[in-house]
Amino acid sequence: MIEVVENALQIAVLVICSVIAVYKAVHYNSRTWALAAFFFISWVMGDIYWLVCLLFYDTTPQISIVSDLSWYASYMFLYLMLLRTSKPDPGSTKQALPWLGPLFAAGMAVFFMLKGEILNNLIYGSLMGLLLFSSINRLINRTTDRNQRFLPAMILVFCLLEYGLWISSCFWTSDTLANPYYWFDVLLTVSFLFFLPAIRKAVSA
Amino acid sequence: MIYIENIYICLAAPLFLAILCLRRDGRRSLIFVLAGMSACLLSAYVSTYLAGAAGIDQATASYEISPAVEEIMKSLPLLFFILVFEPERRFVRSGTLLVAVGFATFENVCFLTSYGTSDLLSLVIRGFGTGAMHVVCGMIVSIGLFYLWDRIWLRVVGTFALLCFVTTFHAVFNIFVSQTGVIFWIGSLIPLSAVLVYLLFFRGRTAKP
Repeated sequence: MIEVVENALQIAVLVICSVIAVYKAVHYNSRTWALAAFFFISWVMGDIYWLVCLLFYDTTPQISIVSDLSWYASYMFLYLMLLRTSKPDPGSTKQALPWLGPLFAAGMAVFFMLKGEILNNLIYGSLMGLLLFSSINRLINRTTDRNQRFLPAMILVFCLLEYGLWISSCFWTSDTLANPYYWFDVLLTVSFLFFLPAIRKAVSA
Repeated sequence: MIYIENIYICLAAPLFLAILCLRRDGRRSLIFVLAGMSACLLSAYVSTYLAGAAGIDQATASYEISPAVEEIMKSLPLLFFILVFEPERRFVRSGTLLVAVGFATFENVCFLTSYGTSDLLSLVIRGFGTGAMHVVCGMIVSIGLFYLWDRIWLRVVGTFALLCFVTTFHAVFNIFVSQTGVIFWIGSLIPLSAVLVYLLFFRGRTAKP
């Protein structure tokens, strides 16, 4: 029951974010906002799919590929959005710090592969590594101004919340509010709201 | 059990003859419709095989396997058209929609053969709902292909992301229309509403950076 309520809350927040992003994409005729809209809608589609499986069939999907595809797409749209709002700085790619992201993602992917599916975790690990690398790279980028730092910072927080969510799902399985999985999921839901000002600042920079 | 290859031959034969007789735009349009129908036929084979390999029943496969297979199969003729002929945008956009129309038409004919033609209201809802769903998926992919990204590698990543996106949309639609009553109506109305929103607000607009 908690999972259904929590999913419904996330869907509600994402629908609001999607409507705002679509409005901005149309109003400002902006590709960045269009990518943001795809990011939100893609995520909410994965959530809706998961929720309707729970509601109509009283079970999670036997093969979770459809929801996963939706969430892969969300990560890709997020990455494309980050690229679109970035200024190139060839010097920053030579720094070591951004590589901590892919390294962390690779380590976590191995950990999750030992506990579950291989291909799925490999894809999630690769996408997360890419997002972490790009966001850290942009945060330390010399040409990035203050307004442009909000989006990569938000993406970094978002990725870390995702990892918190996944790790807690490995160790806690109870369907109660004491389960940290739900705390992380609520934080993730709240984080979607913070994407809106971050994207606005990145677009206006 | 129905023999969809027989239905396919019956539907494709007049189209094939018309393709031989027509020239330029008319011929191109019918080739797209035929490609959509062929994609639907192949999707049925691939989905059935994958469902058997994964050990799941057809009803479950309709929302867990078929959406991904159908969207990938629908995109293949378009990718071939884009990569080989390097066409203008308008041809790709109309091609995407015509492939979707061919796909939906063949799927609806197979549905009619399986479930009969007695309930007009359900068939009207089914016709508009399924048709709109395939058209919406086609529109989303075509918008993404040409309006969202300007560099080729962005287009590759973005198109894959859009395929993932439309697959989920398709899967959610399939779950809704496999229910009865209000849920079926809501499911059928979602893509129709999306088409209406597109026609009212987005038609003729293109995004800038």
